[in-house]
Amino acid sequence: MSDDTLLEKAFGGTGSTELTESDRAVAIWKMKKLIKGLEEARGNGTSMISLIIPPKDQLSRITRMLAEEYGTASNIKSRVNRLSVLSAITSTQQRLKLYNKVPPNGLVVYCGTVVTEDNKEKKVNISFEPFKPINTSLYLCDNKFHTEALSSLMESEERFGFIVIDGSGALFGVVSGSTREILHKFTIELPKKHGRGGQSALRFARLRLEKRRNFLRRSAEIAAQLFIPDGQKVNVTGLVLAGSADFKNELNQSDLFDQRLHEKVIKIVDVSYGGENGFNQAIELAAEALSNVKFVQEKKLIQSYFDEISQDTGKVVYGVKDTLKALEMGAVEKLIVWENLEHHRLLLKNPQTGEESVQILTTEQLKDSRFFKDSASGVELDVVDQQPLVDWLADNYKKYGASLDFVSNRSQEGSQFVRGFGGIGGLLRYVLDASVLEEPEDDVEDLDDDWEL
Amino acid sequence: MNPQAKEFVPQSFLSRNTEETVLNGGEDTESLGKKPSVTGFQESWEDNLVSNEEKAENTKEIEDNLQSLSVEEAPKKRDEQSSEETWDEEEYEQRTRTANFDTSTRKHVNIVFIGHVDAGKSTVSGHILYLTGMVDDRTMEKFEREAKAKNRETWKYAWALDTTEQERAKGKTEECGRAEFLTEHKHFTILDAPGHKNFVPQMIGGATQADIAVLVISARKGEFETGFERGGQTREHAMLAKTAGVRQLVVAVNKMDDPSILNPDGTWNKARYDECCEKLLPFLKQIGWKPQDIYWIPISGYTGQNLLEPVDPAVCGWYTNGPLLKILDELKPPQRAYDSKVRMPITDKFKEMGTVVCGKLEAGVITREQRLIMMPNRVEVVVDAIFIESTEVDKAEPGDNVRLRIKGMEEEDIRMGFVLCDTDALVQGTTLFDAQIMLLDYKNIICAGYSCVMHVHAAVEECTIEKLLAQVDRKTNQVIQKRPKFLKPGMAAIARISVAQPICILPFKEFPQLGRFILRDEGKTVAVGIILKVGRTSTIE
Repeated sequence: MSDDTLLEKAFGGTGSTELTESDRAVAIWKMKKLIKGLEEARGNGTSMISLIIPPKDQLSRITRMLAEEYGTASNIKSRVNRLSVLSAITSTQQRLKLYNKVPPNGLVVYCGTVVTEDNKEKKVNISFEPFKPINTSLYLCDNKFHTEALSSLMESEERFGFIVIDGSGALFGVVSGSTREILHKFTIELPKKHGRGGQSALRFARLRLEKRRNFLRRSAEIAAQLFIPDGQKVNVTGLVLAGSADFKNELNQSDLFDQRLHEKVIKIVDVSYGGENGFNQAIELAAEALSNVKFVQEKKLIQSYFDEISQDTGKVVYGVKDTLKALEMGAVEKLIVWENLEHHRLLLKNPQTGEESVQILTTEQLKDSRFFKDSASGVELDVVDQQPLVDWLADNYKKYGASLDFVSNRSQEGSQFVRGFGGIGGLLRYVLDASVLEEPEDDVEDLDDDWEL
Repeated sequence: MNPQAKEFVPQSFLSRNTEETVLNGGEDTESLGKKPSVTGFQESWEDNLVSNEEKAENTKEIEDNLQSLSVEEAPKKRDEQSSEETWDEEEYEQRTRTANFDTSTRKHVNIVFIGHVDAGKSTVSGHILYLTGMVDDRTMEKFEREAKAKNRETWKYAWALDTTEQERAKGKTEECGRAEFLTEHKHFTILDAPGHKNFVPQMIGGATQADIAVLVISARKGEFETGFERGGQTREHAMLAKTAGVRQLVVAVNKMDDPSILNPDGTWNKARYDECCEKLLPFLKQIGWKPQDIYWIPISGYTGQNLLEPVDPAVCGWYTNGPLLKILDELKPPQRAYDSKVRMPITDKFKEMGTVVCGKLEAGVITREQRLIMMPNRVEVVVDAIFIESTEVDKAEPGDNVRLRIKGMEEEDIRMGFVLCDTDALVQGTTLFDAQIMLLDYKNIICAGYSCVMHVHAAVEECTIEKLLAQVDRKTNQVIQKRPKFLKPGMAAIARISVAQPICILPFKEFPQLGRFILRDEGKTVAVGIILKVGRTSTIE
């Protein structure tokens, strides 16, 4: 569970000041992480309170409601349950006392006792103002936190549907926020055209036509199922048709294709392959129409990073150590970090000398005791502070004058960035001396090194 | 093991050339001298790859050879080898088909027509079919009538190959058309590749089956230029054909009779022809074609001039090398691997009184009732019947483009890119392999985690670069840097690549046809490569 001081810093009730685009993205990312943590949390009995107050509601009304709830809860038979519910309500009330009115975007409060991994109980008290107005009123006392309203707050971004259709199959996908999702995919075997002549030429031509028509019909039906799930309303803002041959146009013009979907078609693009590769290319080609989707912005960002590398400008940095070094020097203009970066930042203290040092370790390395000993004296070091590197960066990037962008590994570029460059890197303001940045390559000579020429 | 492999190995090729030279009375001496100075990157790095390990012995061998050339005493071992590999007319005659097919004495050659969209590939192929009598007058009249009805009279020849409605409606070939025709000495299978850039995948499928490529370029003003620009398919196709293993290239400068370039007196414009050739040659050299493997000819596909009959000297007095079909007929047939194990990648399949699979038999001989294994599924099948185009034959030889009716496997279970093998020499399926790749054209950089589409023989799979193992010098093959973070265009590297579905591949050194591949992404050819080492095997059960 995330530390609640951290959260307060991010969302705290100080009233929202004007957020820059980048700050906003970071705030969203933090919220996502928080939701994930909250979703996983489980408590004992029904003692976890989720309270969401919409903007312009009155705090006093909520306080009164809580007081009533308190009265009701004192009648709970089971002693354990009663006590924990009462304590949760009390802490919620305390929490609300921190605010003198409901913040402009509403208020979200989570209070309760969660059971941690090692079966210990932990009190959680979280209150924050969401990054944009939340239009839900909710009070629930359950054995888990209710985050659906928050999740939908993020998902309300535009969704774009994709249909990639060619002679080998069809793929249906959506791009929304920073995700790219394949909803359905099927392959078919359409007969190829055959050599001329032969007594079966006509038969083949007929079979071919029939199969093509069936394929179109099936694709159109599936498209309707996926993009008009309730049979009423199209669930995407726009639809992109892609494919190599003429199928996409045929589909678009066909009467089999639902009229409501037809209206949503914003672009038809030519791609050379079907399947995933075609999907990727279609996103690329439709990028203009999708320019305010996070996924496309992410791609663009990493591409500009790759461009810098390929042009040898020297104004880039990658790898955990180099990037942090450059960050400390204030040279990083744009910091790009994979949202699931595994590294942890530890603040270690030598109990004998009182000397403090910072270590960045992977989850693997955390288990290795070697990193917790002073190399010279062999003294065991105390861990003063430990937190995921991403959290630390989210809190501190401003101190170093950088902007921070979180990326996923779901796009082609993202996947390359994570696997080829370790998931962290930065665009620099100026060229750094190469000698400063020589990351000692921890060259793990693994077993599959036996390639041959 | 496979004689064709030899063609990629200049140093050892040299040894054979030496033999040939000796045998043929020194007619091939030219190829001897130029050996080490191969210009093209691609050929040279493929060469280097093999030559590297054999370098030590090779240098010695070359010296030996040069000496033996004069003394005529080649080592005995090589002597044996060469007698197997050199084209032996007598032996061939013995092995020719005994079937009722009237091509029994003709050598089977696969020929692919490539080039930019609207260069006239289909028209040229269609016209050839018409001239050689494969399309009769009546059918042609029908095409003409139908084309006229659509106001597209000039498309009539192309309709012989563009058989589907979609293709005819737009006048654009979408899939490789297939047909056959006969000349005096040879039996050709035509593969008419689509030229549009969206259908490059289909074109690659055709090119991998071909022995000879005819690069059709349009001489019409503006058309040649667009086809040849960056992003034009003239460049890409020529390069892909080379990478796919095509050995000889005929450059047909089409539309010589177009009014935009015709001389005022109605004769063909030599200056334009020369201009096209001159612009093309450096590029072809650069991608690895050797000038002696390229043949040049001016033609007019629509009027049929210089296809079957030589062009009228009154129209084109400056060209005397004979018509296109004569050039094709006289090309040296490719080496065939008669004695190796059966290897046949599947390019197509359908149902007709059983399961029928199509493909080019790359090596070995298939006879009726033979038992074969379909890899990577490891399913035993029995050959029920063998067809070459529409004629049934008793046996198929290497290089034949055949259709096999097989028993023991359903059509639904077969995918393009499966390989038919002898029961005792299986080509294992794999999902992981190491390869040397050469990055040609990409917007910025690629690194581990990059995924794209891979073409290897008839198979098309999505692949991911798992790891970059080393960056190598593309000329010398020396390792420049271990574990590079990324690759930029123009760099060569050794990479570990994974594919989602098992594919049947072999190291390039073992069997080149199953060892070279092309990586494509976003409608462009990103990289070409050859397989060095095949990882653990896996089968689809």
